[in-house]
Amino acid sequence: MLSIENLSVLIHRADRQVAALTDVTFAVRPGEVVGLVGESGGGKSMVARAVVGLLPTGAQATGQVRFGDADVLRMDPAALAAHRGRGAAICFQNPRGALSPTRTVGRQLSDRLVTHQEMSPRRAREAARELFEAVGIRSPQRRLDAYPHELSGGMAQRVMISLATGCAPGLLIADEPTTGLDVTLTREILRQFRHAADVDGRSVLLISHDLASIAEICDRVVVLYAGTVVEAGPAGQIFAEPAHPYTRALLRSVPDVGGRPVVATPGAMPLLQRAPRHCPFAARCAHADDTCTTRRPPATPMAGRRTDEWSLACFHPQSGPVAPAVEPAERSTASPTPAPVAGDAAVPGPAVLEIDDVHVVYRSRFGSGGHHALRGVSLRLAPGETLGVVGESGCGKSTLAKLIMGLVAPTSGTVSVAGQSLVRQPGRPTPRGRALRRLRTRAQFVFQDPIGSLSPRRRVGDSIAEPLRAAGLSAAQRQARVAAVLDRMELDRSILRRYPHELSGGQAQRVGIARALVGEPDLIVFDEPTSALDVTVQAQILAVIADVTADTDRASVFISHDLATVRGFADRVAVLYLGRVVEEGPVDVVFDSPRHPYTRALLASAARLGGEPTSGAAAVELVRELEEGDAATGCALAARCPFVTDTCRSQPQHLQPYGASRAACWRIPELDALIGKQAATP
Amino acid sequence: MRIFRFVVRRLLQLIPVLLGVVVLTFLLVRVLPGDPIRSILGQNATEADAAAARARFGLDQPLWRQFLDYLGGLVTGDFGTSIQSGASVGGEMALRIGPTLELVVIAVSIALVVATVLGVWSARRANRLGDHGIRLFALVGNSIPEFWLGLMLVLLGYSVLGWFPAPSGRVDPDANLTPITGADLVDAVLTANGPAISSAAAHLVLPVLTLVVGVVAPLLRSVRASALEVLNSEAYAAAAAHGLPPRTLLHGYLMRSTLVRLPALAALVFGTAIGSTVLVEYVYSWQGFGQWALRGLLYRDYPVVQASVLVIALCYVLVFLIADVVHAILDPRVRI
Amino acid sequence: MADLRAAGATGATARVTRSRDDRFARLLIITGAAILAVVAMAALAAPLLSSWGATEIDPAATLAAPGGAHPLGTDTNGMDVWSRVLYAARLDLGIAVAAVALAVLVGTLLGLVAGYLGGWLDDVLMRVVDIFQAFPTFILALAVAALLGNGTVNLIITIAAVNAPAYARLVRAEVRTQRELPFVDAAVTSGASTVGVLWRHLLPNSLTPVRVIAPLNCGWAMLTLAGLSFLGLGVSIPEAEWGAMISLGAADVVGGRWWTSVPPGLALFVSVLGFSLLGEGLQERANAKRR
Repeated sequence: MLSIENLSVLIHRADRQVAALTDVTFAVRPGEVVGLVGESGGGKSMVARAVVGLLPTGAQATGQVRFGDADVLRMDPAALAAHRGRGAAICFQNPRGALSPTRTVGRQLSDRLVTHQEMSPRRAREAARELFEAVGIRSPQRRLDAYPHELSGGMAQRVMISLATGCAPGLLIADEPTTGLDVTLTREILRQFRHAADVDGRSVLLISHDLASIAEICDRVVVLYAGTVVEAGPAGQIFAEPAHPYTRALLRSVPDVGGRPVVATPGAMPLLQRAPRHCPFAARCAHADDTCTTRRPPATPMAGRRTDEWSLACFHPQSGPVAPAVEPAERSTASPTPAPVAGDAAVPGPAVLEIDDVHVVYRSRFGSGGHHALRGVSLRLAPGETLGVVGESGCGKSTLAKLIMGLVAPTSGTVSVAGQSLVRQPGRPTPRGRALRRLRTRAQFVFQDPIGSLSPRRRVGDSIAEPLRAAGLSAAQRQARVAAVLDRMELDRSILRRYPHELSGGQAQRVGIARALVGEPDLIVFDEPTSALDVTVQAQILAVIADVTADTDRASVFISHDLATVRGFADRVAVLYLGRVVEEGPVDVVFDSPRHPYTRALLASAARLGGEPTSGAAAVELVRELEEGDAATGCALAARCPFVTDTCRSQPQHLQPYGASRAACWRIPELDALIGKQAATP
Repeated sequence: MRIFRFVVRRLLQLIPVLLGVVVLTFLLVRVLPGDPIRSILGQNATEADAAAARARFGLDQPLWRQFLDYLGGLVTGDFGTSIQSGASVGGEMALRIGPTLELVVIAVSIALVVATVLGVWSARRANRLGDHGIRLFALVGNSIPEFWLGLMLVLLGYSVLGWFPAPSGRVDPDANLTPITGADLVDAVLTANGPAISSAAAHLVLPVLTLVVGVVAPLLRSVRASALEVLNSEAYAAAAAHGLPPRTLLHGYLMRSTLVRLPALAALVFGTAIGSTVLVEYVYSWQGFGQWALRGLLYRDYPVVQASVLVIALCYVLVFLIADVVHAILDPRVRI
Repeated sequence: MADLRAAGATGATARVTRSRDDRFARLLIITGAAILAVVAMAALAAPLLSSWGATEIDPAATLAAPGGAHPLGTDTNGMDVWSRVLYAARLDLGIAVAAVALAVLVGTLLGLVAGYLGGWLDDVLMRVVDIFQAFPTFILALAVAALLGNGTVNLIITIAAVNAPAYARLVRAEVRTQRELPFVDAAVTSGASTVGVLWRHLLPNSLTPVRVIAPLNCGWAMLTLAGLSFLGLGVSIPEAEWGAMISLGAADVVGGRWWTSVPPGLALFVSVLGFSLLGEGLQERANAKRR
């Protein structure tokens, strides 16, 4: 189907040139799903562009992109026009942006059907409805007349898939199709591509930064690093026992819900000016020797395998599984010593953070109603403790973070940090002026968008020292304190004089953590601090955060949509769903024996290394998507829970103790039996 | 039905703005230096004459009283009496508004069509020669003073070439045109007066051309930028990457997304055109609304200034309302 | 990372044209600045470039054609057109730039405060801006000019007054966008005071669009000033100002006497073009950066 041979792409720009791809060789056979994996800057998207003949105009491509009998790089405009869509169709990464905002999605699909399948407009509309149904869009007839802005993220992604398949392409290219989607949806979307290969016989090229999530549906994977193919072979085997040190580093960098500790690889991917003469990974590789830094390893077959079966470009192939099974005893070294207190209301002693039955309602500007972001959340955090908060988008995580930081006032209930209130709350004294400014620095925040959280026109040094200004420290004192945190973050002094846009994501996040630490706060809130970073950089930052949260004189809150990152260093974890805490308890208990159906569903959809069973408890699969679940009077999950009863719909659920953890579901005692029964009757 | 509710809601939102406009124009005129009575009576009038005249125009009343009278008049459609001519302001305005609307509507319509066609054409060949030409033209159009451009067109079209009539009037008096609407070309067509049609058209060419150049430039720039943004958008790229044919791309994916921005711009440009008309009418001695309002301003004729400024603001606000509605129809993302 | 914009047929050119755009933007900026520099120099060096004063009357020559002692002829009052065109640059440039500076200052301050603090202050300010913006700007300028009368300072205030609302609205919108960005939350949670947030974080970041619009606005201000003078509501004869000169020369056009109106008009046009080029270049650069 598709056969790329020695494809190199050099991009000439006014100021510099970039070696985007170097000698890339791989093939996609008919009906095969091939994963193209690597970090950003590795050249994944450039491969996709080359396949549809849309290279940037400054690009100079050599080698061959053979598609059927023709070479895409040498097609004339007419042949290229015929090739795009019909030959290869891309399923774009950001579906909301890639759908035309002023045309109904039905017409956008019909356009493709009319163009590539020579249908009449009337027939195309009928076919569009069928396609919508096939990709799992509910009430497809109605959706045909919807505009893109009316669709949820998951729905838009389904439409995008239908658009790409509507071109009836020989090769379907999916560019990061699950970015920005919630975990419970990710698997379902990925299955669509497997389906396209198995049922329609299309070839699929699946581009992703996350090897773990796509390994399951791919036949083979190709790993890119700095524009070169470092390893290519059968998905299952590469996933379990990769041979190239980079592939192994990539896998080790991903946190795992099983609690396996993350191993960080130092350094970052180089941006190459010319085709590399030596192994591009050598500088970061623990196994590198002189050979690696003088010659570029050619792609060679693994011992006893054919080149097109499993090949890699490395002088020092590794073997054995990446992640040895983790024993429970080992696990405790990964997470810091359990805090002396478990966050129960019964525990005495001073609390760094106390949230008591807080509701937050965002009033809409016009008229009545509003968005109920938090519904009766209570949390308590002692010094030295780390609380993980997990949930999907829209569950109220960010509101909770803002609430703790005093950026949002509770509509009812109380919040206090170090015993004092940051916002005006009825019946409580509120500090003002300088006192308030000082109090604010007691709780610090690490943001999701590391670069965006730094003032664009202020130097880095200025940003880090900001909390010290409020404390009224002298310039010399500020300088000393800033120098100390810089050392802890392993940042060079020269960074102080730079501007945020000059930093890499990893550097910027270290700066963000430095700013949070510099005033020696009582509490640090990490709001998805690694979700905007590349995998290996993410591992480095997670290591830094693990170090910071281990400090015993400070409490931390770590907010994430990703269960696995939380497991690494949290003592306790709270699972948030539509503004309510549905389960809460010690981290190992919640992860190993989840109680609430929602927690079980979350854990079940999290991808894991080695494909071992997700957790001790049986898995739950939710029936609908988050956007479709409307919060009625009863249990928040009622609309999506497979075990829902009338009681669930009418009675609100409160946290009840079940063993060491607490969960808000009355059917928990009978849940295991229910799941078993469900599994028995397909 | 929803669009109707949308219009009503917008109209209601306009009420405070319009009330503000009424108050502002009223106050603006009262604090103008210079005494309108003195300027019509001349230096020789006695104090008693002046007092009598003041009483006649109600200028001896306290300010709040004058405002209430004015407001009461407005509600009943009475704009008062011109201090200069003694005629009804409403009647004078009705005579003057036709010729001006004729100019502005023709010019803005031409400008809209030209700007859309050229702007999209230019964006599709961005950074090629034709595109650079268009951009240069837009820059020049943005920078050229209309009144001077008008003069230069007179110099060339009348003084040098002699192709167009002198800049004095809107139609040849010999054509015996019967006025109906005040817009001469329309009247000529309505009365099927052949000589008047050609004369009115000939008189219109230069002023309309002057206005078009000034109006088309900013529009052209925006349409080009808007089209370029669509062309560079992910959505358009995705459609192109799926191999849709050029015709479908142009009509289905480029045009509507580009034109979504046009209504608001057109409304803004309509305002510019009203401003420019004052200058253009002056250059071509076009006896329209602008000339009338300007004279009112120069002679401190309170009722005329009030009425003209109010009517301009009303027109402008209404045009914006229409633009909003058209935008809401074109752009599915607007919540109505 | 799949930067889709670079994946489309036209999008594919985006990456390369960025550097080309950048060079093009530089060309525009340099040309515009050069034109303005020449105009400013001419204004300053007027006494050196002409032997006649701005309002000096040559009784021997009224409406004299170009040539001889008067390179661009004289007007109906017998004043030298060339020297008047030079001297006029002082008033035209000076008033326009001063007016825009004043408008930027006042508008930015109001927009900053309204945008950050919100509440009733914001509501009141924005309603006032709404009312101002219910008039086409030139019409408003006419009315305010008639109201204030025509001195240099009054004209500066007039032109500033009709432009300030637009700046207030622009800066307010920018502040409201910026306010939602994480770096502002970061500053607040780091204990920065309200004034600190406004001054150290919001102001520098909200000025970006103002920087692009101000030059374009200077050109527009010159056109407004000349237009007012042309209608008799701005600078009046015998003072040297391009619009007033064109107004005086308008009567001569019908008779084919071009030299009283063409030179001041050209000077005005070229100066405004200088501002337009500068503004367009800055805009282009800002776009290239945003892409």
